[in-house]
Amino acid sequence: MELGDKLEILADSAKYDVACTSSGVDRPGRHGQLGSCRLPGICHAFTADGRCVSLLKVLYSNVCVYDCSYCVNRRSNDRPRATFTPRELAELTIGFYRRNYIEGLFLSSAVVGSPDATMERMIETLRLLREEYRFNGYIHAKTIPGADPQLVERLGLLADRLSVNIELPSEASLTKLAPDKKRTAILRPMGQIAARSTQSKGEMVRYKKAQAFAPAGQSTQMIIGASPETDYHIMNLTEGLYKKYSLKRVFYSAYLPVVQDERLPALTQRPPLLREHRLYQADWLLRYYHFSAAELLSREEPNFDPYLDPKCNWAVRNPQFFPVEVNTAEEAALLRVPGIGPKSARRIVQARRMQKLGMAELKRIGVVLKRAQYFITCNGYAAARGTRQEIAGALLDPHAFGVGVQQLSLDDFVPQALPDAAPQVHQLAEQGVPVPEAARLVREEALTCLTRRM
Amino acid sequence: MSYTAHVTDIAYRYDGSFPGFLCCIFESYAKKELPAAVLPPEEGQLSLFGSRDIPTDMARASRVAVGLARLGGEVRKWVYSGFLSCQSGKELILLRLARRCFEQGPRVLSMLGDEDVAAAFRLMRRVRSEAATYFELIRFEQRGSMLGTVIHPENQVLPLLREHFCSRLPDEDFLIFDATHGTVLLRQRGSVQYLAMTHYEKGPSQEEQDWQALWKRFFKALTIEERRNEKLQMSHVPKRYWQDLCEMQPDEVEEQQKILENPCQIPSNMV
Ligand code: SF4
Repeated sequence: MELGDKLEILADSAKYDVACTSSGVDRPGRHGQLGSCRLPGICHAFTADGRCVSLLKVLYSNVCVYDCSYCVNRRSNDRPRATFTPRELAELTIGFYRRNYIEGLFLSSAVVGSPDATMERMIETLRLLREEYRFNGYIHAKTIPGADPQLVERLGLLADRLSVNIELPSEASLTKLAPDKKRTAILRPMGQIAARSTQSKGEMVRYKKAQAFAPAGQSTQMIIGASPETDYHIMNLTEGLYKKYSLKRVFYSAYLPVVQDERLPALTQRPPLLREHRLYQADWLLRYYHFSAAELLSREEPNFDPYLDPKCNWAVRNPQFFPVEVNTAEEAALLRVPGIGPKSARRIVQARRMQKLGMAELKRIGVVLKRAQYFITCNGYAAARGTRQEIAGALLDPHAFGVGVQQLSLDDFVPQALPDAAPQVHQLAEQGVPVPEAARLVREEALTCLTRRM
Repeated sequence: MSYTAHVTDIAYRYDGSFPGFLCCIFESYAKKELPAAVLPPEEGQLSLFGSRDIPTDMARASRVAVGLARLGGEVRKWVYSGFLSCQSGKELILLRLARRCFEQGPRVLSMLGDEDVAAAFRLMRRVRSEAATYFELIRFEQRGSMLGTVIHPENQVLPLLREHFCSRLPDEDFLIFDATHGTVLLRQRGSVQYLAMTHYEKGPSQEEQDWQALWKRFFKALTIEERRNEKLQMSHVPKRYWQDLCEMQPDEVEEQQKILENPCQIPSNMV
């Protein structure tokens, strides 16, 4: 098979994996080697679905002996199959990297033969890259559940980041949808990687020659919308994973029906993209805003509001917390104000050491005031007054009512609900309501509802 | 904030160079005045103000440079990256900032609520974020023994690309041609030069074309149709960058096909 064909098949097979970041390690270039890494990571391209391409994200092989029901590559699915050789993959990586197409390689694989055999091939690819091609760029490798811990160890010494996919948010769903995979086979390597990373970090401080083990840490991914778990359940799980395995990132992937199976949602179900978006927002709140899962959701309110981002929702439910005085409040309190993010909060704290802050100053600092103005005071004065309806209008997330245009031909444009607009907008549109009208109706209803809540 | 200088309605005219600009700072101190504008040669004629020519004097420039260096890396970074901007009026913004730093120390930089500081911050950030976009979006092609690329930046970002790419490709020779400003960053045998250049001929070999085709196939294969959202794509990569991105160019073959199917329509790469 031609290399281009393989690449197309194995990229197509890997595209549902969402964790395409190159962050977490800062490594300058060195003579005799190729490449460097930057701490925040670098994206190199954006595909037509708006997702970033940072790494050469491919499967080593999509010839799978397992039969996970939600996966396009499962044994029983009829689709083109291909397998790279380690050298092909190493050369592709180098060729793309030199041209600045990518930050490095993201290598994952279907289970070819056995987990151990698959890991051996992956390790050989990375060894070639690091030792023979002297590649110093970013490598993210996905461990294969059920592989020997010694292989995980070898992989971790070659890769910058490791990941083990938790796949589904609960053991029951895993047993039902991925009968070949065991929960323990997923959690054990996670524990091993966490322990080994901490150990290697300690050694690196003490000895010069200590080898880095997955210096960019580990991440995981789960599919949402294929099984019945609530957002509350998912956020608690996420929080637990961050704490217990010191994960760098948890990724969520909206389930895209790829197969007819009575255990799964129907093929016609739209991928829950807005829900995925809310989970990411909440995930940020856990990692950068000092929120806990229990503050965001509860047993009584187990799912995120489609029309409000989780932080605004928290603000609406906790009016007693506001207003926050920008000249004196702690950074953590500033972070709770809708519209103020970590960057703005830091800048506010810095700037107010030197001068009193009023609205004009906040604007110059670059704080987006559309929402924040209703939740802050400057020197004791309310920054803005608004009717309940005005405030509600500012809080609603425009994302949920997003309308784009689809170009049918050169001069024929039709409005279309964006894929991550609220399900209600899509439903109305399907019933024949013109799209802009559908979005307007749904927004109006959400506005009335929210105004009443406030 | 008050200045230990009079605000005048004089415009300084300088030669457009960085040392020339430093001499404007010198002048402003020497005369204890703040100019109303600082104009490079291209804008000098348009001035409504009375103007004064500020000659570029290397000795004066280096006195100011030493003073700036003493204020620390952050001040240097602001002034230097800000000067790479092509926004008109940048000189006055930077002159005012430099004076504030000389008078109140580098901690002035955290006063983002202040007008002078905020203006300089925006200037600096805009240039640096454009440079950072090119860390992402440069696409090299192999030309003989060297890598080469063309970019069309708004600002003069080449000096901000140097460190990143030299570190990343420590043993490669490469050139980055800034077609907007007619300059090229040329790195050969470990040393870097900036030269004037007017033209860059894309002439990829067959092998290079094959690499680009591979990249395009990979790029296309990654799109999930059910998530297609070109608005989002465009918000990440604004259209003005597309001309230099090989994956955003329509395929020859596909275009041919379209023309055959619909001969009256203008091919999309021409609109
Ligand atoms: S192991 Fe399961 S999820 Fe992984 S490729 Fe095979 S079928 Fe798909």
